[in-house]
Amino acid sequence: MKLPLSWLKDYVDVDLAPKELASLLTFSGTEVEGIRTIGGDFTGIVVGEILTCERHPNADRLTVCQVNSGTETLTVVCGAPNAAAGLKVPLAVIGVTLPNGLKIKKAKVRGVESFGMMCAADELGLSEDHSGLMVLPADTRVGTPFTEIAGPPETVLELEVTPNRPDCLSMIGMAREVATLLGKPLRIPAPVVKEESRSVESLASVALEDPAGCPRYTARVLSGITIAPSPSWMQRRLAAAGIRPINNVVDVTNYVMLECGQPLHAFDYELLDGHRIVVRRAKPGETMSTLDSAAREINPEMLMIADGRRPVAVAGVMGGAGSEIRDVTKTVLLESAYFKPSDIRKTSKKLGLSTDSSYRFERGVDVENIEWASRRAAQLMVEMGGGVAAKGCIDVFPSKPARGQVTLRFDRARDLLGIAITNDQVVSIFKALGLGIVSRDAACCVAEIPAYRVDLLQEADLIEEIARIHGLDKIPSPSPVAKIVPGAEDRATRALLAFRGNLVGLGLSEIMNYSFLSEKLLDLVGFGEAAKRVVLPNPISADHTVLRDSFIPQMIETLGKNRARQAREAALFELGRVFCKDEAGRNAEVDRVCVGLMGPVGRPGMLKSQPVKDEEMFQWIKGILESLLAAQHVPSIVSGGLSRPDVTLSMMPSPCFEEGRAVRIRIAGADCGVMGLVGDRVRAEWRLTDPVAVLELDLAPLLANALRIPVSRAIGTFPCVDRDVAMVVEDGVSHEAIVATMWKAAPPELVDIRLFDIYRGENLGKGRKSVAYSLTYRSMEKTLTDEVANAFHDKVKAALKTELAAEFRES
Amino acid sequence: MNAQDIIALKERGLAEAAQAATLAEIEAVRVKYMGRKGLLQDVMDGLKSVPPEERRDFGRAANELKQELTALLDGRKATLSAAGKAAGRKQFDVSLPGAWRGLGTRHPVTQVIEETIRIFSMLGFTVADGPDIETEYHNFDALNTPADHPSRDTQDTFWLDGTTLLRTQTSPVQIRVMERCKPPVRIIAPGRCYRRDTTDATHSANFHQVEGLYVDRKVSMADLKGDITFFAREMMGPDVKVRFRPHFFPFTEPSVEYDFSCHVCGGSGCRVCKHSGWIEISGAGMVNPKVFNIVGYDPEACTGYAFGMGLERIAMIKYGIEDIRLLYDNDVRFLGQFS
Ligand SMILES: [Zn+2]
Repeated sequence: MKLPLSWLKDYVDVDLAPKELASLLTFSGTEVEGIRTIGGDFTGIVVGEILTCERHPNADRLTVCQVNSGTETLTVVCGAPNAAAGLKVPLAVIGVTLPNGLKIKKAKVRGVESFGMMCAADELGLSEDHSGLMVLPADTRVGTPFTEIAGPPETVLELEVTPNRPDCLSMIGMAREVATLLGKPLRIPAPVVKEESRSVESLASVALEDPAGCPRYTARVLSGITIAPSPSWMQRRLAAAGIRPINNVVDVTNYVMLECGQPLHAFDYELLDGHRIVVRRAKPGETMSTLDSAAREINPEMLMIADGRRPVAVAGVMGGAGSEIRDVTKTVLLESAYFKPSDIRKTSKKLGLSTDSSYRFERGVDVENIEWASRRAAQLMVEMGGGVAAKGCIDVFPSKPARGQVTLRFDRARDLLGIAITNDQVVSIFKALGLGIVSRDAACCVAEIPAYRVDLLQEADLIEEIARIHGLDKIPSPSPVAKIVPGAEDRATRALLAFRGNLVGLGLSEIMNYSFLSEKLLDLVGFGEAAKRVVLPNPISADHTVLRDSFIPQMIETLGKNRARQAREAALFELGRVFCKDEAGRNAEVDRVCVGLMGPVGRPGMLKSQPVKDEEMFQWIKGILESLLAAQHVPSIVSGGLSRPDVTLSMMPSPCFEEGRAVRIRIAGADCGVMGLVGDRVRAEWRLTDPVAVLELDLAPLLANALRIPVSRAIGTFPCVDRDVAMVVEDGVSHEAIVATMWKAAPPELVDIRLFDIYRGENLGKGRKSVAYSLTYRSMEKTLTDEVANAFHDKVKAALKTELAAEFRES
Repeated sequence: MNAQDIIALKERGLAEAAQAATLAEIEAVRVKYMGRKGLLQDVMDGLKSVPPEERRDFGRAANELKQELTALLDGRKATLSAAGKAAGRKQFDVSLPGAWRGLGTRHPVTQVIEETIRIFSMLGFTVADGPDIETEYHNFDALNTPADHPSRDTQDTFWLDGTTLLRTQTSPVQIRVMERCKPPVRIIAPGRCYRRDTTDATHSANFHQVEGLYVDRKVSMADLKGDITFFAREMMGPDVKVRFRPHFFPFTEPSVEYDFSCHVCGGSGCRVCKHSGWIEISGAGMVNPKVFNIVGYDPEACTGYAFGMGLERIAMIKYGIEDIRLLYDNDVRFLGQFS
């Protein structure tokens, strides 16, 4: 909301500089988002009258006007659409500098000489209005210095009013805040209306058919009104507050709304069928067009203001085109009412139409102020438009609600805020805010809540009032007191932090992708089942339609994007959640980790330039898997083989991975991830020509043992004996099978097995390979003799021979 | 020749050995004194003519000559040959790059999350978690959000169906924790949130928040101020100040917003703080008694504070990142800056 300070000062004395006032408001709950100055130096700008206005001979959109400046008649070329003979407008003559910095010079515009400029409000820094020339009241004297009309420069605060404080959406509301904060009195005008002898009831009637939607409706009738521009002071204020002046009657309704927060509506009395107002829901099939000349779809849930025949306004939102104030309007029916906030919100949303009026009604206006606002507007309309008000005011208010009462315990306030405020201080804050004190004792007080404070409903709300008026800066900011909550547990967090540390320690850098992606990308990479995807019904774009069921698509995309930016290598991980539907069709979330490798990430510096081979890339990603399993205490064949291996790898078919380079990872018998080299088809999407490896694992099995406390075992003091074995086996015999055979056959003295050579050659025969291992034997009790070690080793070799048909190459 | 002469001869020999600058010169000294026809041999040849009573001293002096000179010559030789070897060996270029794979980096948002966990752990907070796919009840209703509040619109929220949605804030974790545990409660809940914001330099449809909740017998706004101030200093630097402004949120009452003084310029104004000296951080407040009633806590028996913070925002401020999109672009050149 815009708060012109000169207007505010009508109701409260403020002796603070604008900046100080802004700070005072910001720190009491109404944030000031900006301070703006309107107007400025208008020296040399006068009131001019357009005598004639003719089409420019060479330009359709321009006019050539003869303008009386009070001392001479000037030819002025004008581009404003509203230029017309008879208008009085601000005129800047040659040599003048406008507040926006523009200097007026004699100029030839499309062949016609122009000797000045007629101004729009924005060119004078008075508002953002650039719709046309700023039209001054017809009775303004030609030649008057514009300064006399524009008044002194105005300072306007831009306020952010929180949705719970509709009372702050007005000058008087803000004045009440300022008065409370400064301890100054609040001056509210006491309007008196010039009334005639005819009663309003004899001229109009109100039928309130829906008191739930409209608990109170008032109407006044003003006759003998002359529609004209409102006086310049009022136009100035409206413009400063961001509302475009229209005519005296409409301007008054807006002015009073800004003054007290009560939206008003003025009907042309003669256009109301039967001079009757009916407050009712719309009837099926009814239509209407609103003031903005749009045909509106109305429905029976919407509250309407109707006359004897048809709807004439959407209650609380906008008036209808058929009953609006016209230039020829003589008699005005003035509405001031209270509408149920939720009804207005619904209607406004349904129509997609939010107005200054609906904005206030949907937050809640002051039901006790309805009549005051009507009286105030009537007073101003009569003052400005001539005429007279009918006697009295139709005020339909079937059940006046009682004011709320809220009890505050003084100790509760002190405890909750952590301050030592006295009972007297509390009570005086309440009084300054306009709260009534119904009763008070040593422990508590009962406050009566004025109708304009729709937000004060419970004790905590009153405590907030104390906090913000007393000042949040007066609440101490003590050093924290650490406290352990019984049963508090953070093992999962510790495990996750340590896990991430392990990933980083392996040289992997963390990435973050959106949780949603396009189906196209998921389809391309082809993980998960399409039927189990969680689809967003209202995505922000076609690229973000599904929740990811795997990190792999975006991981590959990320590698591809980096490759496109000429990154030679990348070793990345992402940790987070994936989503899919479970067997029962419910949405499920799983925590996962994904690793992606591209380029010569596993090689030291000078070797990086050689191309990366597939098998090498696969060994790197497998090395990461092994390191993670070991670090996370997942028993596996690679982490020593001292216990039963829990991790098994098996080939799987996959559209994403290269044929024969896709591995399913199972831990303790359950599928928990995949690993492999990304296939050509997928890589081609991002022009990735070199091998790319990815690994994705469920987090739960990795974290299950993460915090296991290692138990120290004796490492032995006797020397070890190494024995090598080189053998020729069928190509299909895996390393894992060989190692498993060795462990099974060997006595407990076998402590380590290391592969040190693989060879395939024609001399071995097709489909065969030679592999060589070094085995370490160590006894915990004694030094092993050669004979004993050889006996162990022979046993191992015998097993290899019988179980794997190994042939040994004697050395 | 007597023992004195031998000692004099030894001194001369030691002096010559000390001056020998090359292996050849050292060898020359050795031959001169201890060669088969050297001076020591001459001395020994004269032993026969030495009176028997002097032979002992004579012999000792001759022995000392041999030992001391040999030791010095061997030492000199070792020094010189070591220097020679070094001179002949290929030199390292120690400026060549090392060849060990470097550490990776944590994402800047993760760093802020981990730092937040560290800070609140010091105060005894533990981490709580909730699902990304939330119920309308936990995300809105239980947090006292009015039924027709605009944040519930399909404009702003990713609805999956009539009752479930992608959480728009981490606040529902508060509700889940209070449903699960009796007071006292001291938790923080970092996590992903989702809003239908059009992506620009400061908005992202995917973002992270951390929620904090402390409920106990007598938690006050002073506790909230003290703890947030502690957090600010630990996160942004020891000189950072915090200021609180009254605000409005449906689930807290009283509610505040808070700003940190700018850690870059110290409050004098710079690009990061848009020349105001202060940076708007987020909202907090005392848990609304209505929320306690909803989760079945007795608002008379306990009070509490809650806060929420946008973690991308903190990361952007802390590291001077100007565009939130950089955080989801995953450019390795960008990520590499946060080691
Ligand atoms: Zn700064």
